[in-house]
Amino acid sequence: MKKAQNLARKKSVSQNIAFTIFSLISYAIVALLVVILAFIVIKGMGVISWEFITEMPKNGMTEGGIFPAIVGTLCLVGVSMVFAFPIGILAAIYMNEYVKDGWVKQIIKQMTNNLAGVPSIVFGLFGMALFVNKLGFGDSILAGGLTLGLLVLPVVIRTTEEALKAIDDSFRQASTGLGASKWQTTSQVVFPIAFPNIITGLILSIGRVSGETAPILFTVAAYFLPKLPTSIFDQAMALPYHLYVIATSGTNIEASRAMAYGTALVLIVIVLISNLLANALRKYFGKKVKMN
Amino acid sequence: MLSSAATSIIVVLIVFFLFMEGAGVFTKKPIEDGFLLAVSPSNPVKKLEPSQIKDIFDQKITNWKEVGGKDEPIVLFRTSDISTYYTDEELGENFEFFPAKINELISKQPGIIAFFSDKYKAENFSGRELEINKIKVFEFLSGEEWFPTAQPIAQMGVKPLIYGTLWVSLGAILIALPIGLAAAIFLSEIARKKVRNLVKPLIELLAGIPSVVYGFFGLVVIVPLIQSTFNLPVGETGLAGSVVLAIMALPTIITLSEDAMRNTPRAMKEASLALGASQWQTIYKVVIPHSASGITAGAILGIGRAIGETMAVLMVTGNAAVIPHTLLEPVRTIPATIAAELGEAPNGGLHYEALFALGCILFIITFGINLLVELVSSKQKHKKH
Amino acid sequence: MNKSKLLLFLPLLAILSCGKSKSDEKDATQNTASTSVTIKGSDTVLPLAQKEAETLMLSDKGISVTVVGGGSGVGITALMDGTTDIAMASRDLKTEEKLKFSESKKEVEKVTIAFDALTVIVNPANKVSQLTRQQLEEIFTGKITNWKEVGGADEKIVAYSRESSSGTYEFFKEEVMENKNYATNILSLPATGAIVQAVGQTKGAIGYIGLAYETKEVKQLGVSYDEGKTFIEPSVANAKNKTYPISRPLFYMFDKTNANKVKPIVDYALSDEGQKIVGEIGYVPLK
Repeated sequence: MKKAQNLARKKSVSQNIAFTIFSLISYAIVALLVVILAFIVIKGMGVISWEFITEMPKNGMTEGGIFPAIVGTLCLVGVSMVFAFPIGILAAIYMNEYVKDGWVKQIIKQMTNNLAGVPSIVFGLFGMALFVNKLGFGDSILAGGLTLGLLVLPVVIRTTEEALKAIDDSFRQASTGLGASKWQTTSQVVFPIAFPNIITGLILSIGRVSGETAPILFTVAAYFLPKLPTSIFDQAMALPYHLYVIATSGTNIEASRAMAYGTALVLIVIVLISNLLANALRKYFGKKVKMN
Repeated sequence: MLSSAATSIIVVLIVFFLFMEGAGVFTKKPIEDGFLLAVSPSNPVKKLEPSQIKDIFDQKITNWKEVGGKDEPIVLFRTSDISTYYTDEELGENFEFFPAKINELISKQPGIIAFFSDKYKAENFSGRELEINKIKVFEFLSGEEWFPTAQPIAQMGVKPLIYGTLWVSLGAILIALPIGLAAAIFLSEIARKKVRNLVKPLIELLAGIPSVVYGFFGLVVIVPLIQSTFNLPVGETGLAGSVVLAIMALPTIITLSEDAMRNTPRAMKEASLALGASQWQTIYKVVIPHSASGITAGAILGIGRAIGETMAVLMVTGNAAVIPHTLLEPVRTIPATIAAELGEAPNGGLHYEALFALGCILFIITFGINLLVELVSSKQKHKKH
Repeated sequence: MNKSKLLLFLPLLAILSCGKSKSDEKDATQNTASTSVTIKGSDTVLPLAQKEAETLMLSDKGISVTVVGGGSGVGITALMDGTTDIAMASRDLKTEEKLKFSESKKEVEKVTIAFDALTVIVNPANKVSQLTRQQLEEIFTGKITNWKEVGGADEKIVAYSRESSSGTYEFFKEEVMENKNYATNILSLPATGAIVQAVGQTKGAIGYIGLAYETKEVKQLGVSYDEGKTFIEPSVANAKNKTYPISRPLFYMFDKTNANKVKPIVDYALSDEGQKIVGEIGYVPLK
């Protein structure tokens, strides 16, 4: 009897220890996030100012701002979204609403997964071979934006599909039951309900696109470009590449360190805001759809 | 609708372009286009391996007998060395006498090995051109030296790069898997709902931080930390890469394994508890085995992410192209190599194509990993029924 | 209905993000630039070209200069393809590059805009303060692996090099290592800044950088090219009077038919003001 009690106590002791360790580890991961963020926020905060956001780099990129890099990143985001969004959404709608389960769907799905798993540097290689060299776009916003568009296409397709799947079939049945065609059902019933979640996907992809470096390395990025791009055939500076450049090169590293922290902070803020926004939206609309 | 096949088309296009450019490596000789290596006609050596040629020009091999020839010291000759033998007047204003002089030199020096442009090869060339084989797939994969711009013969051995990539990724998963599992167990089985709803999105935020930022953080924080902790001569090591990649892979592993754990049927857990098992026993005897395939999928996907990661790794691993023996040595990974070298490699040249071939290898590895994940998670689906 | 709305909405969003930048841009460059010139190539010349472009554009609003890095080879290849107006290079044309230019019937004009001295640096804690060329060669080819072999403490040598894509890598290989290949275990970093950072925080480190990059975090070594008889300290003065052996010219290269377009930039680089910037950046002025 005593033995059993001891055993039970031992068990609960080991359980408690294990659980404490697990919870500590989890909090440690959160702490790590906080450390990384705090590190960059604290070091970068001093640099951030209205001038930093709106001015050109000055004095060998050790002073001034990062305005052209911000604009460049915005343009890249714009081009990639114009490319990836219509295609991605149409693909997802067609897959989810029209194609019946079977090997065709299986293959398409597999291919989407595969595309999602392709490393970003491989996209860079591909973008360079196809857009820059073969199609002759040269180093340009168009080439870089399309490369980034390919990269986020799977993200767009997946989030759209999830949004469509979340819609109860009763909506579709009710609509077709009232005599609506398949297309009418899709465009006027299914799509509007899914729309908010699709926008969530859009925001997530914006975050992803603005943080990628490897795909733009050989397709668009310029070291120093004093004027803003005037067309999509121009080269541009971009935030992640700018950070890479000022963190590792320049003749005066100490002087540009501060700029690097500032750039990192701006980049992180853009990416995190888009993530948090997407999360919040997802939660908000998630509740709404369920209520329906 | 064409758009639904968009991803398939893109994958096919990627494969097409990568492999078309990459395959070019195997149609070329590792010697620069339009150049040749020649020896004296009396020299019995007919053929040299690329690595032997490199050692000869690095003066590690200095006598022909070391490569199966006569006992004769090797005399190196590069185009620019011509001025030590002849004056500018002798060569002519536009180097028009260059070919004749090289001819003369080769017949005069029995131990010579000459590297020059075939523009300067005389019509009555008296030397013997060395045969140089095209690069073979096997040599490319098993070669141990990566000197893509070495002259006269480029050394295209990707073994150290493949090893470097795998070491760093495996190291990352060894660090990330236990930590990720612990966090997943905590989130799915132990934490209260409130805590979970707070902690999980925060962990997922880790996935949103751009990789350059991780690289930057690694460069200024993790690298010096590792150097002082392990008292190493260098901080830029495979381990630094692994640590950074582990942090980056954590969200993937945690999300996937947590999802799998939460899919464990409640009835199974309750049955276990009712039989007198503690919560801890239930977790490792019931929940973990049941979600094993989900955890595996998460781990494999995490490796996939790690293998393809470029910028963060480029900034922290030191990029020395040697086959690593421990994680505490500098390593060079495939993605870092592509990112660092593609900018310089002239379009369509041997080096450019070799980097595309590296891209192919990377693509094949990640493609295989994706299929593996698919296989593992389809197993999980069957289990549920 | 909703679908068409969406399709309208998406491009709109994109146009907004780009369109906004366009309207801003009009404010930024009110005097619309009449000529726009691209400079591409060597990372060594990059900071110099960037700063010169910056100051030139301040005084001359009619010109706009884009500066892109990548390495000397990239710049020269781009010049062949006609995708850049000026190639900046930290080395001379290779024979095969000369051949390619003559094949495509392009005549290249080469202007020396400054000199650069390559400095060998070690960690400040290192006792060694000078090395011969022979010793440097053996360190970078991997024959010497411990500092005690060259009169230092018993510490492993950690050698840092630039990536093979850089002109500095090639130059060091030709000039100091007499064309021998680097040992495989040499660490290579993608940028000079990273080398300074690494050598500054690694005790047994040795690396080479352009004179301009020198900071207090690292210690410069004197170099001897006559087997230890005389050691020369790297400095602007020593590079100017040509006593420092490891120095090289930095070039702007351009197509002769394009000479008029790039003239303002080349002239500025050679002007007193331009040469002053050369000194400020840390390179060696021509005069």
